[in-house]
Amino acid sequence: MPRDITTALLANTDLGGGNWLLEFGAPEMASSMGPAQFFMIGIPGSATVLRRPYSVCGLPGTFEGRPDGAVQVLYKVIGRGTGLLAALAPGAPITVLGPLGNGFTPPDDPDTIPVLVAGGIGSAPFPALISTFRGNYTRPRMFYGAASASHLPLADWFSERTELETATDDGSAGVHGLVTEPLIRMLDGASHEKLKLYACGPGPMLEAVGKISLERELACELSLEAHMACGFGVCLGCVVPVHRPGDGIGYDRVCLEGPVMDATCLAW
Amino acid sequence: MPGMVKSDKPDLSVHVGPLALKNPILTASGTFGYGLEFEPFLRLDELAGFVTKGLSPLPREGNPPPRIVETPAGMLNTIGLQNIGIDAFIRDKLPRLREYDTAVIANVFGETEAEYVEVCQKLDQTDGVAAIELNVSCPNTEQGGMIFGNDATALSAITHASRKATRLPLIVKLSPNVTDIRVTARAAVEGGADILSLVNTFVGMQIDVQRRRPVLKKVCGGLSGPAIRPLAVWMTWQVHEAVDVPLIGMGGISSAADALEFILAGATAVQIGTANFVHPDGSIRVLRELQRWLADHDVATVRELVGAGHPKAPA
Repeated sequence: MPRDITTALLANTDLGGGNWLLEFGAPEMASSMGPAQFFMIGIPGSATVLRRPYSVCGLPGTFEGRPDGAVQVLYKVIGRGTGLLAALAPGAPITVLGPLGNGFTPPDDPDTIPVLVAGGIGSAPFPALISTFRGNYTRPRMFYGAASASHLPLADWFSERTELETATDDGSAGVHGLVTEPLIRMLDGASHEKLKLYACGPGPMLEAVGKISLERELACELSLEAHMACGFGVCLGCVVPVHRPGDGIGYDRVCLEGPVMDATCLAW
Repeated sequence: MPGMVKSDKPDLSVHVGPLALKNPILTASGTFGYGLEFEPFLRLDELAGFVTKGLSPLPREGNPPPRIVETPAGMLNTIGLQNIGIDAFIRDKLPRLREYDTAVIANVFGETEAEYVEVCQKLDQTDGVAAIELNVSCPNTEQGGMIFGNDATALSAITHASRKATRLPLIVKLSPNVTDIRVTARAAVEGGADILSLVNTFVGMQIDVQRRRPVLKKVCGGLSGPAIRPLAVWMTWQVHEAVDVPLIGMGGISSAADALEFILAGATAVQIGTANFVHPDGSIRVLRELQRWLADHDVATVRELVGAGHPKAPA
């Protein structure tokens, strides 16, 4: 059940490259949410009208040494809303609605290898997801791409917990090119293993990963992003095209039917 | 004033023509789904009522995304009247809505006069609907809506046809995208409207300078939020002087003071719109604030403030 609370920022840390990690206390939300679910976060009295959606990055236990009941949100300063958020100091009040939406679901069995594909700030939900795998699952494979090395803020954290390959548009880290290139190479050499793809990132990357999964008949969950006014299903602003029974195309809400959708559902 | 006896329980009830409401706070079509979406966040019984998402004869999938963008003090939307259709509303939503002591106002639109009539007739034959609000002013569909709302003759005709199709209180929601809103207001009243609600969204657009393209897929959308409030208050003020039917005001209301502007301009009730997106209980926040304001200012009944901002009104 989502709640609408006012709480204080515990931390707001500049990770470089315009990426920030925000932390706030919300014990009841933290204990009832899962990876890729999200919050609508607002700043009381700010110049923005609408709150903004942010995926949960860290649940209690994801990042070591963090306070009980705290959750972390990774965000990148893009527009006015994220700019105002980055200017907040610890102690500042924020309003938080959540947890919202449907998150990632775990692989059906522990032998399945999770294959994580993240593009830039699309890396946000993966720490929470990886922390749910602890102990029970095969070590994930991860492919993490961005424009340049400075836009891979969680690369070190991921490299300790996954078999990580990075890719950058300018070649400043990892493969010089798209994140799907090392992904395809890995998939070509792994035809006998059980795999499940999880992806979050820019639209074209999600579309490419979705197509790869369909061609190879691999389970694939995509965490989508969209502008949304409400976050709880009523504004109908955040829709994406999906297949309907028969040949029809319809629109589902990223906030309510998503943000995680099965690659087979999307009509790109 | 010191020593003055404050009325702790101001009377919030209003009669909007044939529609009796326990208080003047409604929620606006397109910002409140079918009501049930708000069950986790507020008690529907506390609201005077709500207006449903626009209902058409058949379900509609709406417009392709991007559909919304925030603008200074507001937002643009081009949802395209995505809705489940009148039959699914009556079958799947109304039975649960009947359990609540709140006025369910069905917002209706069609692409032809016959479609308006069909939906009004179906609503007339069911229990649990308090009133019908005709959407003749949606800027986001190619045929439905605004063509009726911008032409006084067409508006009067569609109102008249809908009037004949139902005994329910009939509200006509006016478009602000006209030269003189008093002209369309009078046309709706001549067509048989019991109540006018105003205003729908203002047509606008935003361009993504980096991409050099419109942000919204359908180029333009409807502007709502605090940005439009002064425009909407002015139109409410003008229409109050032009017609004798009661008015329901809306446009960027997110506080008691905002609601009171519309009431003083001549609205008997108001609708909360974009504020429902900001906080799901935004309407209840306005209601409680209004109750406190009336008590603090020793106003016994909100009814005495309706139209009281006009010079001809008793001070």
